[in-house]
Formats: sequence, structure tokens, C-alpha cells
Amino acid sequence: EIHEPEEVSVWFREGSSCCQETLARNQRFTETPVNMPGADKETDLSERIESFLSELKRCGSGAGSLRGSAETARETTALLRRITAQARWGNAGELMEIIRKEGRRMTAAQPSETTVGNMIRRVLKIIREEYARGSSEETDQQESLHKLLTSGGSSEDNFRQHFTHLKANVIEAINELLTELEGTTDNISMQALEHIHSNEVIMTIGRSRTVEAFLKDAARKRKFHVIVAECAPFCQGHEMATSLCKEDIETTVIPDAAIFAVMSRVNKVIIGTQTVLANGGLRAVNGTHTLALAAKHHSTPLIVCAPMFKLSPQFPNEEDTFHKFVSPHEVLPFTEGEILSKVNAHCPVFDYVPPELITLFISNIGGNAPSYIYRLMSELYHPEDHEL
Amino acid sequence: MEERELVEYFRAQIREDPDVASAVAAIRSLLEFLKRDQSESCLVFRESVQGYEMRMLTNACASLGETILGLRENQTKAIQRLEETDSSVAVSSGGELFLRFISLTSLEHPDLSQCKNVMIERGELFLKKISLSRGKVGKLCHTFIKDGAKILTHSSSRVVLKVLENAAADNKRFTVYVTESQPDSAGKLMAQKLHNLNIPVTVVLDAAVGYIMEKVDLVIVGAEGVVESGGVINKIGTYQMAVCSKAHNKPFYVVAESFKFVRLYPLNQQDVPDRFKYKADILKTVKDLNQEHPMIDYTPPSLITLLFTDLGVLTPSAVSDELIKLYL
Repeated sequence: EIHEPEEVSVWFREGSSCCQETLARNQRFTETPVNMPGADKETDLSERIESFLSELKRCGSGAGSLRGSAETARETTALLRRITAQARWGNAGELMEIIRKEGRRMTAAQPSETTVGNMIRRVLKIIREEYARGSSEETDQQESLHKLLTSGGSSEDNFRQHFTHLKANVIEAINELLTELEGTTDNISMQALEHIHSNEVIMTIGRSRTVEAFLKDAARKRKFHVIVAECAPFCQGHEMATSLCKEDIETTVIPDAAIFAVMSRVNKVIIGTQTVLANGGLRAVNGTHTLALAAKHHSTPLIVCAPMFKLSPQFPNEEDTFHKFVSPHEVLPFTEGEILSKVNAHCPVFDYVPPELITLFISNIGGNAPSYIYRLMSELYHPEDHEL
Repeated sequence: MEERELVEYFRAQIREDPDVASAVAAIRSLLEFLKRDQSESCLVFRESVQGYEMRMLTNACASLGETILGLRENQTKAIQRLEETDSSVAVSSGGELFLRFISLTSLEHPDLSQCKNVMIERGELFLKKISLSRGKVGKLCHTFIKDGAKILTHSSSRVVLKVLENAAADNKRFTVYVTESQPDSAGKLMAQKLHNLNIPVTVVLDAAVGYIMEKVDLVIVGAEGVVESGGVINKIGTYQMAVCSKAHNKPFYVVAESFKFVRLYPLNQQDVPDRFKYKADILKTVKDLNQEHPMIDYTPPSLITLLFTDLGVLTPSAVSDELIKLYL
């Protein structure tokens, strides 16, 4: 039977919603290959977007997401490149509108996955830059006192001009962005030897792929000891410890309650994070604030390994979107029965760490102080894109 | 235009529109002064810090009868006259910005009459933009006020009022504590204005800041000037409030428009120039300033959580960056 493209996509969507209910933790969802004869480019594009959205919605269960944020960033960027190539647009303004619209849907699908929003903002900045280069304008379009004083007349540029090479330039720039994304973990690990010395005791919490690569790179040349806080209730720390042991790194796993007790013997704390906020603070896995406070008390440096795509222009004021709560079954299992009706159990996933507790950010572009984050942000994103 | 007329114009601006920021009124007066300026003679340029720039200008337009130099001289004198009238940091920063604005424009157009026309046009545009800045700040800041919040503020600030107005319009429920702010009891005025907006407000003594700090969720204050280090100059009592909020771990937010950025770098309270600390008439009449009470104090950037400006939400470390962009 040869299905019409529309029928196939309907079946596809229904199938995915069934899967959502019964999906086990580790089951991967694969895309349906769309090599149908006569498949329209537009339906192909919208199908890919739909499949991406449904994957995003499903990935939200617990701290153990199905994919790391690096993969999410890469897939978002690849999807945006596809949109640029296949969608119908006449000038930069229309393209930005399309990307913004899709971006809003993507961020609404999974608000806690901030890398999606970050990549969209990066691509929007790329489009602005390519447009400015095309019309050979000033590339500095940000608000500043200087601009207030010297701009003569309206600087309202609606990006309406059409350039023949804009599409090619934008796609090339997005390819560069993808190359950068692929190299982030390596770039961060390359800096490991500067920060980790022999016979040091390093503490970390939970499981971060970036920190794992960082420590493994240093272990090739140095001998040191790692203490991993298990990070209940998901206990990702156990997986981290197993993985580090495989590289012959001496590892100890401790419960979260022992963090303060052990801190006096620790030389450095190296952690990963889910998001870096605009004020230099972190949104990291729960337990990180405790770790940061203990480190501050003992004057132990706290180093955060975070690639640039985790930098988000949000501030920690939005309480309703900041936290994510998952099933309290992890905290108080349903088997406890009677007590459940008498108590409230919460299982938050994230923690806020204020910028005063952080010593250094190590990213793919080098080491920076938390007070410098505003500058990195202004280089990556345009202020008008902060609100998609 | 005589200096007397300038001061009258400035005073009239403030009288007619009590809601306007004093820096905006100052810039408006300077623009009016510029329009009516009749400088025609070639002045001997004085050896000053801006000597090089002036030398460049005189060389470029030595053949012309009228010079930009004359214009600049007059503007500087006008700014000094205005500062004598109203010794606030805001007037000083507004004036400095305007002077900068002239320099930048004059470098582009060496011909005086053309320069003047461009300046007047840009001046009007600049005025229009900065009159919108308070609205922009209000829009940025009110999202940081959560439902059920208790806010502490100091003395009377029109920007803070705008922020609270926006938050109230957003149907957020919050209560406000205002310090009385002696010696001019400006806090009572603020309380009255808030009361008119149907926001529950309580006036507290200046000495009660430590007492009330445990109850509040956040502190929002305005600023008369934002200095290069990212600190602020504001009504006396602000520094106290900042220290208290740091001790209690409460966020301390400052709301200010970008034209209040000023090129000062005080390291402590003594470094703030006397002409800002005391009122203009006191400076002229009193011999021993040690006996007088200062009207403003300096809050260092380490105590400030975030600054809300029309250029965006800034951390204190970002302020110097903005200033560098303008002045270098």
C-alpha cells in the first residue's frame, strides 16, 4: 500500500502519543524515514518539527533525560538549518518571524530545556549579523548611551531588504555554529590540566558529561582523587563514579548529607550545570546550592564547567518557570500507603546557585569570572531576542 | 540667551511638569539655550583637558567667523549655572551627556550652521528617547515583583513609582514600606502617591530599616546618579538600607534611567564631591561644611544585586562597560 503523505503523518502523530503513555525510561524514539515519493518539502519540514517537539515533551521526565543537552543543542541547530533551507521566506524579517514562531512552540514544549531557546537566539543573532553585513551597516545594533546620542533619525530597520546570498550565508554560519557545538566538550577538556594538579581531592555532584570528560582528560597525565556526591533521589552520582573508575581514577561516593563533613578535605569543587543564568547564577541539579555554600564556608574554589550554549538570558525571578517538579514517588514511594494522605512530598529537580558562590566558569572559549557573564551574553544574543 | 533666562526656563520646566526628571529638564533648557545661541566671535581657546580636541576644531574652522568653540564655551557656562541652581548629580550627568553630544556631533560636521541644525534635530530626538526611558525601566522591573511580595523603598523616586504602578496594573498584590527619609520627609509624599494608586503602604522611620528588614522580600530604590564602579548615589539612608539588606540576604535592586550614568569613581563616602552632597544655597552661604548634613550618600556595587535601566537589566559590573562605550 502506498499511503498518501497526509495519512502517513496522521498515523505517525497518533503513534507517538500512544507511545508517550507506556514509554519506558530508556526506549529511544526513532524518526520515520520520509523518503516517500512525492512527499512535499513543507510536510517533511513540519513533520520533523512535530517529531522534535514530541521528543522534547517526552524528555522531561526526571533528571535522567534521554539525551544530554549537547545533543539537544545540536538537534535544534540542525532543525533550524533545515527550516532556513526549506521554508519559504523572502527576506530576513520573514525568516526571523518563522524561526521565532517555531522557537516559541519548542520552548513551550519543554520550558526547562533552555538550550533549545538559546540556540534559537543564537541563530537569530546570526541572521541579524549576516543581514547587517549584506547591507553593510554598523554591526553594533545594541542599545547603548552612545547610540542614543549619535543616531540621527529612526534606526528602525525591519530587515525588509532582499539579498540573494543571505540564505547561503546564514546556512554557512549555522554550519560554523554546529562545528563549534561539536567541539565544545573537547575544548573544555583541553583546559583540564591547568586546573587539576597531582594529589588533589576534587569534589563533584551528580553526573555531568562535561565534568566527566574534563576529569578523564586530566587523569591521563595526573593522579588525583575524586569524591562524588550521589545526588539523591536519582543517584546519578553512582553512574558518574562507575564511569570514572573505568579510567582508573580513585573515586569515592558519599551521600548528600555528608557534603559539609567531607568538604574540609577537598581542594576544589568542579560541577556541571543545566543552565547559566544572565546574572552569573546557575540553575543546576538539586543539592548544588548546598555544595556551593559548604565550599564557600571552607573557602574552596567552585569551578563550573559549562559550554557556551548553556548560557541563557533569563534571570532567576520567574518562579513559576524556574523550578521543575517530578513525581514525588522518588522521595516517598507509593508503597508507603497511609502516610501519603497526611504529608506533602516534593521532588524538585533544580537548584539556584547565586553568582557570589562561584569562583570560575570554564567554557569552550576559556575561563571567565561570573561578573563577566553579561559581556558574553551581549556577544552571543541580541537584546531584542531575549523575549522570543 | 542670558544665563538668567536659562535658569528661569529651567525652573519653569520643573514647575510645569513636576514628574519630569531634573536631568531631562536640564537638557531641555540647554537645547533651548543652543537654539537661541548667537555665538559669533572666535574665542581664544583655553588650556584645558579638552585642549587637544579644541585645537583640532579651531584649526578646522579657523577661517569661519563663528566657531563651535564659542558654542561649547557657552554650553559649559550654562551647565555650571544650572548646577548652581540645582546641585543634584542628575543635572550634572545630564549636562555632561549633552556636552558629549555636542562634541560628537561637531566632529562630524565642521561647518557651524549645519552643525547647529543637526544638533538641534538630534537633541529633539534624544529628548524624545529619554522621556520614554522611565516607561522602559518600569516594564523591565515589574516582572521581578512577585505576587504577595513585600517591598521596601527609600524616599521618593518617580522611577520606583512607575515600576510599582506597572506591577499594580499587572494585577499583582504587594505591600510597600517607605522610609520617612528626613530631613525633607519625602517618604510621606511617596506614601501619598502610592495610596492614590490603591497600593497598601506603610511609612516607617529611617531608624526602623533594620527592624523591618526581616519582613520584606526585596528592596527597590531609585538613584540620583549611577557611578562608574556600578555603585549609586542616592538620598541619604540608601547605604544603610543596602548594608541591612545584604546582612539579611535580601535582593537590593536599583532602578535608574541611562542618562543618570556619571563619570565619577568614588572609593568611599568622602570621595563624593561636596557640590553634590549639599544643597546649592548651603554651599554658597555656609563656611564650615562639617556642621551640615549631607543630602546624599554612596552605595558601593558589592551591595547591589541588579540595576534596571532602559539599556536593559545590568549587573553592577556591566555599568562601566556602558560608560566606556560612550566616553571613549
